[in-house]
Amino acid sequence: MHIPDGYLNVGTMVGTAAVSVGGVANAVRVVSKKLGEKQVPLMGMLAAFVFAAQMLNFPVTAGTSGHFMGAALCAILLGPWAMVIIFALVLMAQCFIFQDGGVLSLGANIFNMGIVGGLGGYAFYRLGLKLFGGRLHSKVVPSFLAAWFSVMLASAACALEIAIPNVTPPLSVVLPAMVGVHAIIGLVEGAITVAALELIRSTRADLLELQKA
Amino acid sequence: MKYHFLDQYRDAESFIHRLDPRSKFLAMLALVSVIVLTPHDGWLAYGLFLVFNLTLLFLSRVPFFYMLKRSLAVLPFVFMVAVLLPFCSAGTEVCGANIGGWHIGITREGLILTAGIFCKVWLAVLPVILVTATTNVNDLLKGLEKLKMPAIMVMLMSFMYRYLFVISDEAERLSLARNSRSFGGGVRLHVRTLGYMAGALFLRSYERGEQIYGAMLSRGFDGHGRSLNQLSMRLADVFYLATIMVVALMIALSPLLLRNLNA
Repeated sequence: MHIPDGYLNVGTMVGTAAVSVGGVANAVRVVSKKLGEKQVPLMGMLAAFVFAAQMLNFPVTAGTSGHFMGAALCAILLGPWAMVIIFALVLMAQCFIFQDGGVLSLGANIFNMGIVGGLGGYAFYRLGLKLFGGRLHSKVVPSFLAAWFSVMLASAACALEIAIPNVTPPLSVVLPAMVGVHAIIGLVEGAITVAALELIRSTRADLLELQKA
Repeated sequence: MKYHFLDQYRDAESFIHRLDPRSKFLAMLALVSVIVLTPHDGWLAYGLFLVFNLTLLFLSRVPFFYMLKRSLAVLPFVFMVAVLLPFCSAGTEVCGANIGGWHIGITREGLILTAGIFCKVWLAVLPVILVTATTNVNDLLKGLEKLKMPAIMVMLMSFMYRYLFVISDEAERLSLARNSRSFGGGVRLHVRTLGYMAGALFLRSYERGEQIYGAMLSRGFDGHGRSLNQLSMRLADVFYLATIMVVALMIALSPLLLRNLNA
């Protein structure tokens, strides 16, 4: 889902980059007000975590494999704005060091995965908490929804952007293809997110309250 | 550690290695921008960009196959889109088939467009590889800070880079442990195991982060990073940046120049 350089038109690159810069700037403001200098090593470490977790591959169908994205997990554990910073860092490292995603498309990639996918997925988490709150294991369904929607929204945003310049396949082809594949990947993402949260709850439940600190 | 190849040529000697990271970074941005703005059928420009990129590569003494290997990172995305593309462009049909009332055909125009986009995407990644293969990451980050990237982001990046490989090794150890113990079982078990691995990796990273913070605090960390090496823009850096910009612009305008010559 990392868009390389050469697919997007100028308007898309500038527009998504502007939103991403604004989003990251706001995230830095919110997070630094809340947590201070302790965040520096921790956030760096957790960005490294997301990067490493994305290496955990799973087969989707013959030949293709999806990988864990982790936006929903991050947002649920650390809060939506910390997640935006972490995703900006991860995508910058992937772009500059590993050539995964283009330099000029960096804004679009942060927009897709961090802002549309991550923040959008987190919105569904909050919505799910409202709907299912108070029941036993009340966080399972919202977490699953957040993870599934984070992948779906990010892939839909990606499909929209590459269809805009009109030289690549039309939206009527790209959107169903991308979103269809990611509907399945999203199920796995959801299951992984739920299992990861379950493990964290049973070993260090205090970390689930990080956001309220 | 699996990523030792990243640093393989970073300490080699060439005038590109010695350039200021800011100059290299800005030159890379300029070159990538011009390549991205080339029309999809700008074959002449593509050829010239290839020659130019290879010349820079030769000057930097980074081996061609090393760069080729690293540039393969763009392939998955290119393939994903390229599979659909030849089927969706209007034009002369090369081959086609009727499947249950649906007509599917590959057009000549579609294939050419696919090839054009592939060239562009591949060419656009070469300048990035040149910069990262010849620049120390700490210097690059320092350069970015001088180019007004927020200090907090630079510091987070340097932390992330420092522990990226440690945590990646941790992930690899988890995978190895899983592979040696868990086999058989259904999809449910596998996905659950993957989830536990992600959770365990999170806990290990988090706890390591806490320990590191404690260690830093006891050594007098006050929220700022300091380093001794200072960057300086010399004449050579300005010259390099200017040369890249001029050549890139000339290549971009080459179709126009040629037309005027012929007229």
